[in-house]
Amino acid sequence: MKLAIVGKGGSGKTTTAGVIARLLARQGLDVVALDCDANPNLGISLGLGPEETERLVGIRQALDDGEEEHAPSADELLTHFGAPAPDGVRLAVVTRIDRPNPG
Amino acid sequence: MLGELDATGRVVIADLEAGLGTLSRAEAGLADVLLILVEPNPRSLEVGRRAVELARERGLLRLLIVANRVRDAADLALVGEALPGEILFAVPDDPAILEADRRGAAPLDTAPTAPAVQALGELARHLLERSS
Repeated sequence: MKLAIVGKGGSGKTTTAGVIARLLARQGLDVVALDCDANPNLGISLGLGPEETERLVGIRQALDDGEEEHAPSADELLTHFGAPAPDGVRLAVVTRIDRPNPG
Repeated sequence: MLGELDATGRVVIADLEAGLGTLSRAEAGLADVLLILVEPNPRSLEVGRRAVELARERGLLRLLIVANRVRDAADLALVGEALPGEILFAVPDDPAILEADRRGAAPLDTAPTAPAVQALGELARHLLERSS
């Protein structure tokens, strides 16, 4: 099941995503959380803390800087950079992929 | 991106960018269920209304409106009037969420029994029942 969460900035999207992801994982589901926001802080709402969340975003940015020709797919990101979060959720920061292709 | 990711045997939850950018570029495979977060105020409800329109245009058929920070029945009625006929979940206005934000922590860890967290539990159960 793919679940996407949308709304105006500040409407509580990220908090909602974080709580729902962990509650579904507690039911034994394999849950993948994707942070697609330009201000990626889903890690905080999942309970990873600000420092670990910042570290994951840094990894994502370093990846972008190194790969100009071929943007990684969401599956690749998840496999190589998916980070374990509480209750067995896996988090990947995919912000860049979600942006419009500049050309 | 989300459209490409294989969701077989797992739940993929995508926290999309704020606003309508992703939806305006979305294809039908973006998601099986779209949660549209709104607050009971005109600006947020306008974004919500546009999100519903865009989602329908793009073939996203399963929509759930989450009315966030609802204080009372009047707040909920405001959401219902702005988005008639949609399935609506209410999450109460809850200082425990703000407090978790301030601490950079997850509400599930700091306030697992808070009313807003309980309401999100209802929503998770609803989604779980329909995921199989």
